Amino acid sequence: MWTKVKWGFRIVVILIVAVFLHYILPQRDIVKVTGVEQISSFQTSWPLFYAQADQGTVVQDTFSLRLIQTVRKRTWLFGLIDRGEQTLVYRNQDTGWIWPPFFKFDSSDLQAEAAKMAQDQPPGWAVMTHYGWRIIFITVYPNAISLRPIESPDVVLIPWVNIIILSFLGFVVFMLRRMWLQFWERTVDPAVANAEEAWDAVDARADAARAQTQGFFGRIGAWFATWRGKPGK
Amino acid sequence: MIFGAIKLAVIWFVLMTVVYLLVSVYSRSVRRERLEKRFDAGGVAGDRDAYIEAGMVKYRHGLRRRLIVLVYIVPFIAAAVTGYLVN
Repeated sequence: MWTKVKWGFRIVVILIVAVFLHYILPQRDIVKVTGVEQISSFQTSWPLFYAQADQGTVVQDTFSLRLIQTVRKRTWLFGLIDRGEQTLVYRNQDTGWIWPPFFKFDSSDLQAEAAKMAQDQPPGWAVMTHYGWRIIFITVYPNAISLRPIESPDVVLIPWVNIIILSFLGFVVFMLRRMWLQFWERTVDPAVANAEEAWDAVDARADAARAQTQGFFGRIGAWFATWRGKPGK
Repeated sequence: MIFGAIKLAVIWFVLMTVVYLLVSVYSRSVRRERLEKRFDAGGVAGDRDAYIEAGMVKYRHGLRRRLIVLVYIVPFIAAAVTGYLVN
């Protein structure tokens, strides 16, 4: 029973972490930029999925949202299986200093780059680095981070950044576990052993007291002894 | 803009201090355990406590303890590189 609860709990935690990482880690799409758009007064009830305002501008309820419209190559299994093309719209917002830690400040420049690419004839391919999800039901877009033109759409992209980040996270978890075990072995276990010794001493004391509890005065003496916290002699 | 940078600096400093303390406590504990085991394995003359104390003094002045300062420096470099590459 408890094993099941424990494992259920673990699976839920792992799922939450995986979903979080899927949202936050950079991913790359192979896209053709077809246009750029700016919504001048955008308002969302899901601020969680949006950066607030461009860095250095004033934060307001409504903000202007830059969008980059693209056609992207859809693939399965890390690009191994081709699934044709699909339109996808990215938002283009500064992430700023704090969160998520992409330190992106150049939204305007990225927008200009995208606008230039949209005018190319014929439209060229590019690698779009982004994070986030497109959720149509609540109008949420992935955030574009950078755009790099490529010659041909048939490139193999190895996600080195994610490999490094994930291995580092694995290393951190491993070290935390080792630290925890070390702490347990060196600090908690000795303390427990000490406490057990103390309990044994108490037991010995109790035995001694029991030996004394013959007769009325013996009992009174033992009782006083427990008050003083010393074994009755 | 400046406010954001200061906020980041404060958060980063607090977080890294926690990490620094964790790592240094762990590192010290591991070193002490290794000294204890080495003494208990035999072949070391002298008093056990004195041997361990001498080893810990050596550790305190050693390079390995100083390397823990990297905990502050490496994330800073990582952030700088990220910022440079993204912008």
